[in-house]
Amino acid sequence: MNTIETAKLEEHMEGQNNDTANGYSRPTLSVSEENKTGTSKPKGLSNGLRKTTKKYPNYIQIAMSAEPRNKFPMEWWKTGIAFVYALFNLILTTVMITVVHERVPPKELSPPLPDKFFDYVDRVQWAFSVSEINGMILVGLWIFQWLFLRYKSIVGRRFFFIIGTLYLYRCITMYVTTLPVPGMHFQCAPKLNGDSQAKVQRILRLISGGGLSITGSHILCGDFLFSGHTVILTLIYLFIKEYSPRHFWWYHLICWLMSAAGIICILVAHEHYTVDVIIAYYITTRLFWWYHSMANEKTLKVSSQTNFLSRAWWYPIFYFFEKNVQGSVPCSFSWPISWPPSCFKSSCKKYSRVQKTGEDNEKST
Amino acid sequence: LPDKMKEVVLWSPQEVTNWLTENAVPEYCEPLKSYTGQDLINLTEEDFKKTPLSRVSSDSGQRLLHMIETLKVAHHMEAHKNGHANGHVRSGIGDPTRENGFGSKTKLNGLPNGYKKEMIKIPMPEPERSQYPMEWGKTFLAFLYALSCFVFTTVTISVVHERVPPKEVQPPLPDAFFDRFERVQWAFSICEINGMILVGLWFVQWLLLKYKSIISRRFFCLVGTLYLYRCITMYVTTLPVPGMHFKCSPKLFGDWESHLRRIMKLIAGGGLSITGSHNMCGDYLYSGHTVILTLTYLFIKEYSPRRLWWYHWLCWALSMIGMFCILLAHDHYTVDVVVAYYITTRLFWWYHTMANQQVLKEASQTNLLARVWWYKAFQYFEKNVQGIVPRSYHWPFPWAGLQRGRQVKYSRLAPDT
Repeated sequence: MNTIETAKLEEHMEGQNNDTANGYSRPTLSVSEENKTGTSKPKGLSNGLRKTTKKYPNYIQIAMSAEPRNKFPMEWWKTGIAFVYALFNLILTTVMITVVHERVPPKELSPPLPDKFFDYVDRVQWAFSVSEINGMILVGLWIFQWLFLRYKSIVGRRFFFIIGTLYLYRCITMYVTTLPVPGMHFQCAPKLNGDSQAKVQRILRLISGGGLSITGSHILCGDFLFSGHTVILTLIYLFIKEYSPRHFWWYHLICWLMSAAGIICILVAHEHYTVDVIIAYYITTRLFWWYHSMANEKTLKVSSQTNFLSRAWWYPIFYFFEKNVQGSVPCSFSWPISWPPSCFKSSCKKYSRVQKTGEDNEKST
Repeated sequence: LPDKMKEVVLWSPQEVTNWLTENAVPEYCEPLKSYTGQDLINLTEEDFKKTPLSRVSSDSGQRLLHMIETLKVAHHMEAHKNGHANGHVRSGIGDPTRENGFGSKTKLNGLPNGYKKEMIKIPMPEPERSQYPMEWGKTFLAFLYALSCFVFTTVTISVVHERVPPKEVQPPLPDAFFDRFERVQWAFSICEINGMILVGLWFVQWLLLKYKSIISRRFFCLVGTLYLYRCITMYVTTLPVPGMHFKCSPKLFGDWESHLRRIMKLIAGGGLSITGSHNMCGDYLYSGHTVILTLTYLFIKEYSPRRLWWYHWLCWALSMIGMFCILLAHDHYTVDVVVAYYITTRLFWWYHTMANQQVLKEASQTNLLARVWWYKAFQYFEKNVQGIVPRSYHWPFPWAGLQRGRQVKYSRLAPDT
């Protein structure tokens, strides 16, 4: 393209030499590129250059390639939308838990279901706290790691979207069939039977406590299929591993151990059925891998007959979020505290006026 | 061909460029501008895989190589015209690797000079290795896998049956669908009939497919894996019966012979209630009927012509009605059906996406689809399938008819009298 444009320009220059009516030539170079950036002058040469070509007809303008469009645009507003989506699903889940709580059969009427793991391993009381502490540590690590990522907004967007969708799925499975409590040790809050005010209060309490038993906010029963704790433990580990340097194997190992220990402790504490944990693990890993494969592979981003991954119901949302992300997000880090403007300032100076040697003494530019 | 042509091996780069331009392949002028005639002759397919030739060549240099061979032939003819001792032509035409079994037989005609009788061997192009090899061996393996998963499921059902709490002790769990819809007794038969129709349709369609073995391999893999997952979820947690109408067979408490008999009965009846083989309880999470209904519909839709939209709609309706009837009959919890649908569709789409994209058949950092546990098995099954299996059909039965299209092969030259 450049060769063609230079050739065209030469012709133009020659034409100009023959006909210097107004000394104004309209090169066709870089018009399309300039339209892209929209900042450089769309038509013709800039004033300085125009005058200069009149003065120095032998000069040939070499087209500067327009600044390459950013491969990984930040687009924080999309991240905001994803955050709202996740928040909405979280609140929906909380409401659903409150609704489902009313339908859980009392444990006298409906004893805990037979579970293979529970048959072999007796309940250990403090195990659930271990699981929740692990979860909190992992979340803390992930936030810390996220702050140092260079492409925070893209990764954050993905995180919010995936977790929102997982909690949406969880709403559905929790609601349609209500499993009884997994153990006789459960102390479920009394049913409210239509007292909306108290229900709203419970919802707020659940949200503020983050749904953890440690904070005393999780006194509601019925949200067993599938396990939200497993979702968090698995998803955070997957994100930590995906967006950290490959050679940090010790870091990955520690996180994996914490995640696995947390999941096992859920079962040891008899807080969830085994099938809850298994399904949660399966759905989380599949969704994560599915989303990231589509995001990384150009051929999978477009919907086509052979791209079955695009048949998921959330494909349009995915496309909206990821269409401007070109390729696999590189694992780069930057200080979170530096001012945004300085991150994006181009270090390339732009020259807009041609200077003939010898004029340097007269003018300084 | 010009009468007087300098031997190709003596060509200078300029002459090479001229020849390229004359023969309407000017795009090669640039990368080959420093090539002498000798280099030109020595070009091989490998060279076209590397830059700069890979950039300008759209057909991996096939056309150019062909032209070079023709050139070589012309020069052999020329060289021969000038006289060889015994009229023996060495068939160095074409790439030696392309000959397929004719050997390098040459005819010695024993003439002292000249070339009166001259045979030039024209290499028959090798029959291309099929893009979609049948590999029935792999299909058989997949079949064994599916069969073993079925048997394993049956054993698991039998085991789980022992642990289902009696309905008096553990009443049916509250279910959103059951609250809204009362039980309809005959609905489950509808579901099973729909399932049988769909399986029948799929079987007939499969018979008409050209690439039967590849497609059935995929079917067996998917069905086997889905049933394997089902074993796990059934086994770890036992849900109570979804309705008081269930009549579960009495428990056996370790009587292995009766267990075995039950298992055989279940397999023989295909696990359907219609055949009276399914009176065991406990296999609720997740629903096998939904798996079959969904999977056969997905396969039917995927491997049939796109314009048969009415056929697709019919199968979709059968499938949906079947699933609705499962719930209407209160034979499975809603979560069983939902989870079964989700797992089936995801697995089907995952597998087929990987099978259709060459780039996903290799494990890499960006290919996260490869992190599933069955990836190695998938690679084994699908590595020789190049690209998307086309939807071609043919009659499975008349074997005689297949002979018609076969190419007749000649293996002996009839000499002139």
